[in-house]
Amino acid sequence: MAARRKKARKSKAQREFVSEAEETLEGMREGLADLMDQRAGLQGDGEVDPELVNRIFRAAHSLKGLAGMFGLEGLSNLAHHLEDVLDGLRLGRVALDSPAVDLLDEAAQLFASLLERVGEADFDEASVAPIDELIGRIDAAVSAQPETADELSGLDLDPALLRALTEYEEHRLRENLRRGRHLYLVDTSFEILAFEEGLAEISEVIRGSGELVSTLPSPGEAPESQIRFSLLVASELPEAELSTQLDFPDTRVRSVGGGSDAGESDAKASASVPVPDPDPADQATTPVELGGELDSLRSISDTVRVDIRKLDELMNLVGELSMQRTQVEQIANRLAEDFATARVGDELGRIHKLFDRKLKELQSGVLDVRMVPLRQVFEKLSRVVRRLRRELSKEVALEFSGADTELDKLIVEQLVDPLMHVVRNAFDHAIEAPEERREAGKAAEGTIFIRAIQRGNHVLIEVQDDGRGIAVERVRELAEARDLIDPEDVLSDKEILDLVFEPGFSTRESVTETSGRGVGMDVVRTNLAALGGMVELSTEPGRGTTVSLTLPITLAIIQALIVGVGDQRYAIPLNSVLETLSVDVEAIQRSEGRELLNLRGDALPLRRLADEFELDSSCEDAKRFVVVLGLGDRRMGLVVDTLEGQQDTVIKPIQGPIQQVRGIAGATEQGDGGAILVIDVASIVDETVRRRDAA
Amino acid sequence: MSGLESFGTAGGDWRSIARDAATGREDEAPVVLRELLVFRLSDSSYAMPVDRVREIVRLRAMTPVPRVPDEVRGVITLRGEVVQVIDLRMRLALATAEPSRHTRIIVLHGEDDRVTGVLVDAVREVVRVPEEELRPATGGEGDAVAELFLSGEEFVSIVDLDRVLEFRGDE
Repeated sequence: MAARRKKARKSKAQREFVSEAEETLEGMREGLADLMDQRAGLQGDGEVDPELVNRIFRAAHSLKGLAGMFGLEGLSNLAHHLEDVLDGLRLGRVALDSPAVDLLDEAAQLFASLLERVGEADFDEASVAPIDELIGRIDAAVSAQPETADELSGLDLDPALLRALTEYEEHRLRENLRRGRHLYLVDTSFEILAFEEGLAEISEVIRGSGELVSTLPSPGEAPESQIRFSLLVASELPEAELSTQLDFPDTRVRSVGGGSDAGESDAKASASVPVPDPDPADQATTPVELGGELDSLRSISDTVRVDIRKLDELMNLVGELSMQRTQVEQIANRLAEDFATARVGDELGRIHKLFDRKLKELQSGVLDVRMVPLRQVFEKLSRVVRRLRRELSKEVALEFSGADTELDKLIVEQLVDPLMHVVRNAFDHAIEAPEERREAGKAAEGTIFIRAIQRGNHVLIEVQDDGRGIAVERVRELAEARDLIDPEDVLSDKEILDLVFEPGFSTRESVTETSGRGVGMDVVRTNLAALGGMVELSTEPGRGTTVSLTLPITLAIIQALIVGVGDQRYAIPLNSVLETLSVDVEAIQRSEGRELLNLRGDALPLRRLADEFELDSSCEDAKRFVVVLGLGDRRMGLVVDTLEGQQDTVIKPIQGPIQQVRGIAGATEQGDGGAILVIDVASIVDETVRRRDAA
Repeated sequence: MSGLESFGTAGGDWRSIARDAATGREDEAPVVLRELLVFRLSDSSYAMPVDRVREIVRLRAMTPVPRVPDEVRGVITLRGEVVQVIDLRMRLALATAEPSRHTRIIVLHGEDDRVTGVLVDAVREVVRVPEEELRPATGGEGDAVAELFLSGEEFVSIVDLDRVLEFRGDE
């Protein structure tokens, strides 16, 4: 159970800054990944996509502003230097293959790692050195750029007009010249009253056949009530053809240069048509016209950013309301039972029902606000895979479905690491080298397919690869070599596969950078268990492996089973309860000093809650209750005195000097103001397994 | 629920008093005052810095917690928060006693989920003590008392909360 959330020592303002900056940074890194792909020629035509650079620039600019606003000068300064590089890139002063571009990624990483430390007492001092060091390198890389010779002076253009161009427009002129496009000056005039429509119309036609580099009001003579414009246009089309297309009254096309054979022969017909993007995660990159000014930095949106803690508070209130609802219900029932008050009781009961319904709506409304789509996690994964693809030159495609599936924000946050690990594992270990794949009759490019499906109150996320699969015999060998099992142990294939999740197991001897050091699938299992979820594995040797992660949709409110031992009551999250049994004390058997129960032929290890928590169990009855707990595919029975029903439960962390109590996940408030402790099923099951192993 | 203000009114705006005192006229030596909450344990008086105190509540239903030291008497709920309560008598190795109608839980501020309740026999008053009147403790009581001051004829021990609330490991 992950009710205990580590809180950084950040002020509210700092938290807001970090949350906003993280989001912006996320977008920027996404853009940088695209940029690196373009650079490596994996995407697009090897040309810098100006809109992409603009997008990254805007992100850097926002970061600068944000950091400045919160007085984080180091971060602001770092963002400023990022802007410099990006501006240089935009204006062609910095080449795409410049080492300065590598530093962008590094700077984004530094930014991210520093963000985590915002609010620490020594933040300012600690951040100075790495920022200065990186800025030094950025400056060196940017200034190492050779000055480009000025080809613009060779154009047949009025120097006054050239001077009126912005630096960016000049760069676009140069870029188009370099690509061998013709440059034209289109003179036109419109009625002053309607010039906006006319201008929009002609601009659209021009964009259909080339790039509109600049639109300048022209000082030339114009008839009464008209306004003249000079449009600077770059196009593949010869002059005559462009003239035909620009069939507007009083419009003249004049060639001003360019059109040499110096440009690439394969230049596309129109620079503004982006090459279709093979990566589904990039489809958000819509074609955008070139040559526009920077878009406004403000985005207009009808969404509100809310600190999740505020939602927690709302959730708490709803939780408290539902406890009071229970009390009202009890009173109504008591009144209804007594003949004298039956009428009032019935009436109260009816009102209570209505109240209950509205309360449930309120609860699901609040829960709904906490939900975020998995898309952002998927985008993160996509970025990592693209980076790995570049770095390891391995051909792997990442595909998604169900990116709109929603989960509690807290779960999504904590899902990133385990999911990343599973994907890296697939990339690194499961997918074979291209030659090996060809020999096996597979496509050279491997595929990792991630699918999310909602199933009731759970979400299933499957990570499927078409790699080499896992050889069960090999797992067994390794498990024996690592003393996880005895050679004599009789295990089913599934049980053997499950050993992959044991601590200390790793199917590859060599530790690779990609999958991290000494971190194995056991961590994935632990992380998932902490979220009340589980992980399972299925594989077909030669065909691939599927890792299935099952997660509850939310942790904010859970259904809990209330059990009693002696005079104490405890809550057990219902999602890990498989069934409850009433058993005779005599039916409990012993083996090697440990208790177990014959559960339809299987040996179910038992533990008595009274022993675990050192409670007085004065229960004299010959009957006990066994709560069968299941986590992943591990099973155990918890022996308790009584079962007291189910309850909607808001799990709260237990505050105080002792931060972790083994076996306790948190507590929940009761209607009477008391607290019930919530049992941490993962740790109880873990203890049982470990005890079994130790014996 | 009795808040601090129920007994703290006598103190007035102590911060401004302390500040005035600290920044006082140049010809006077600055007097730094310490604001302390005085409470009873067994038959002695103890004190803790007021700025650590969030609120004071009466004894209420306490849920015992397994697998923790005995000094952790249990958890209480406070407006939705679940907070551990430490028995200060046990922590200071004094004889335990049954709660009385004066028994109070002093709730301390805490960052990072460390709001803590401290069980005391009774809460007395808030006092301002000039820094120079504090004297070093004589030792004993597990070194949980760092300083003393004299209130009338009686010595009041200032509890070192950081030490009291430090539990080694989680057991």
